[in-house]
Amino acid sequence: MPDAILKAADITKEFGGITALKDLSFAVQEGAIHAIIGPNGAGKTTLINVLSGFLPPDTGTISLNNQVITGQKSHDIAKLGIGRTFQNAEIFGNMSVLENVMVGRHTRTSAGLFSSALTLPRARREEKQIRDHALSCLETVGLLDLAAVAAASIPIGNQRLLEVARALASEPRVLLLDEPAAGLNTQETRMLAELIRSIQQRGITVIIVEHDMELVMDISDDILVINFGEKIAVGSPAEIQANPEVIAVYLGEEG
Amino acid sequence: MRFVRNYSSLLLFVLLLAGIPFFVEDPYFLSILVFVGIYSIATMGLNLLMGYAGQISLGHAAFYAIGAYTSGILTSQYNVNFFLSGGCAIALAVVVAYIIGIPCLRLKGHYLAMGTLAFGEIVYIFLNATVDFTGGPSGIAAIPEFRVGEFFFDSDLKFYILVWCIFILLFVVTRNIVHSRMGRALRSLHGSEQAASAMGVNVADLKVKVFVLSAAYAALAGVLYAHFVTFISPQTSDLMFSIRLVTMVVVGGMGHLWGCVLGSAILTVLPEMLSYFEDYDMLIYGCILLGMVMFLPGGLTRGAEMLYAKCVKKAGKRGDA
Ligand SMILES: Nc1ncnc2c1ncn2[C@@H]1O[C@H](COP(=O)(O)OP(=O)(O)OP(=O)(O)O)[C@@H](O)[C@H]1O
Ligand SMILES: [Mg+2]
Repeated sequence: MPDAILKAADITKEFGGITALKDLSFAVQEGAIHAIIGPNGAGKTTLINVLSGFLPPDTGTISLNNQVITGQKSHDIAKLGIGRTFQNAEIFGNMSVLENVMVGRHTRTSAGLFSSALTLPRARREEKQIRDHALSCLETVGLLDLAAVAAASIPIGNQRLLEVARALASEPRVLLLDEPAAGLNTQETRMLAELIRSIQQRGITVIIVEHDMELVMDISDDILVINFGEKIAVGSPAEIQANPEVIAVYLGEEG
Repeated sequence: MRFVRNYSSLLLFVLLLAGIPFFVEDPYFLSILVFVGIYSIATMGLNLLMGYAGQISLGHAAFYAIGAYTSGILTSQYNVNFFLSGGCAIALAVVVAYIIGIPCLRLKGHYLAMGTLAFGEIVYIFLNATVDFTGGPSGIAAIPEFRVGEFFFDSDLKFYILVWCIFILLFVVTRNIVHSRMGRALRSLHGSEQAASAMGVNVADLKVKVFVLSAAYAALAGVLYAHFVTFISPQTSDLMFSIRLVTMVVVGGMGHLWGCVLGSAILTVLPEMLSYFEDYDMLIYGCILLGMVMFLPGGLTRGAEMLYAKCVKKAGKRGDA
């Protein structure tokens, strides 16, 4: 694999007695939409947390663009270009929609307490850039109309889009989405698919954890299937749909 | 035109402040307003920590005490000039806050409250115990009044002007911070530490920073207090005072800059009027805190905003009909 932007090698993560991830290795191609699927409790969120530095893996390494990032703090990893959203929509409920996205510019800007306190010209200029960029991100996800609204008051579907806009504001190279379609209706899901494709077209690599199989099969270039923290299969949507082991896992889940 | 609106409220406030001395002859009332100013400065900092960053401190009286004692001792016993003593006082508070903040702010919720409370008690005990240095329980008397060159701040009116000028300066600075990249980062901690971290905010670092900043405000307030009252004892900065500061923030409105003035004013003026509070103050403060948290968690400023919005809505409906 020549152009892997993100690589995970032999990742193991245990919680007490539970092995959430076991010797997991996989690579994500630059510019791809890479899905991670698996039954409830398979370890998908744990994987996202490990990739984004929220949890240190017990063993294994993660590299971004051939640079090892294992063990770095989440805020440093954010700076390196891995953005993410959360399964339970972690928006800043105490701010407006626009302000939420403005926080997303944090890594790309530098005004500190001192220059902000005195509103130095540089800080003022930067503030304007932050606002303009945040507005353009809101436009991308279609929430521009809600810019001034309190973030806590918008419906869950919009909160998920807001999370995407906020992550986009940091101009990530890799964007991790943890179940972005949860709580969305059919039409919203369709718009989300469009949005994810447009994000890919900007050259951003997307890793998406999702239960909505229709969405996954529709947009993904590659799919990684995990169960009980172990890799079961990896391949294109067609390959995954035809994989007997994957079918067994999903039939087993339904049955 | 939020910009204009914000500045207009500040301008109005300055006019009000400037007008008061012309109508109020009673020096006692003026001195109360000096205390309101001093407390407003301390609560403005505490509000950054509590209202914006969502971290509690039950030990801010300690920083107030560090400010008051340091400047008090340096000026009364070592004849140090006021700017230097004030600077030293704030610097010491900053250093202590930094050392205390790093372990304390790893704690969350009740544990953070406990940790800061314990710190406050330690400082309180220290002030009582080191008799040679701080005068112990009887404190330090004869702290000199503020002086710039040959100009003495020897009347309530002069001190009133001094304190409120400092307040306004700090208010502008604080508002700039709140509406900046760092201000948003602070509020993001309150909203979701996880998401803040995912946006590249160094959560642990920023918590310590805002703790240190709020300690500096408290220390400055303490310095002003020491040179206004010219006397300081451990009683001025006991646990009760920490709780009063927190109550002021909560009553005024967490995360609302004007809240610090409103909260400080109410909790300074009210007990003065109802002096029989004296023995029951702990109880009263507890009840006020509980009541606010249960019924008006946004504080009085938010309450007023809500009321205003309701009135506007009603007026609008009436207009439609
Ligand atoms: N912080 C934690 N402490 C203890 N156990 C945990 C923790 N986080 C996850 N687990 C456990 O690890 C396993 C994997 O959880 P994870 O949240 O990664 O699953 P998931 O694939 O995201 O599931 P879902 O589809 O329900 O979101 C589960 O058994 C879960 O209970
Ligand atoms: Mg999950």
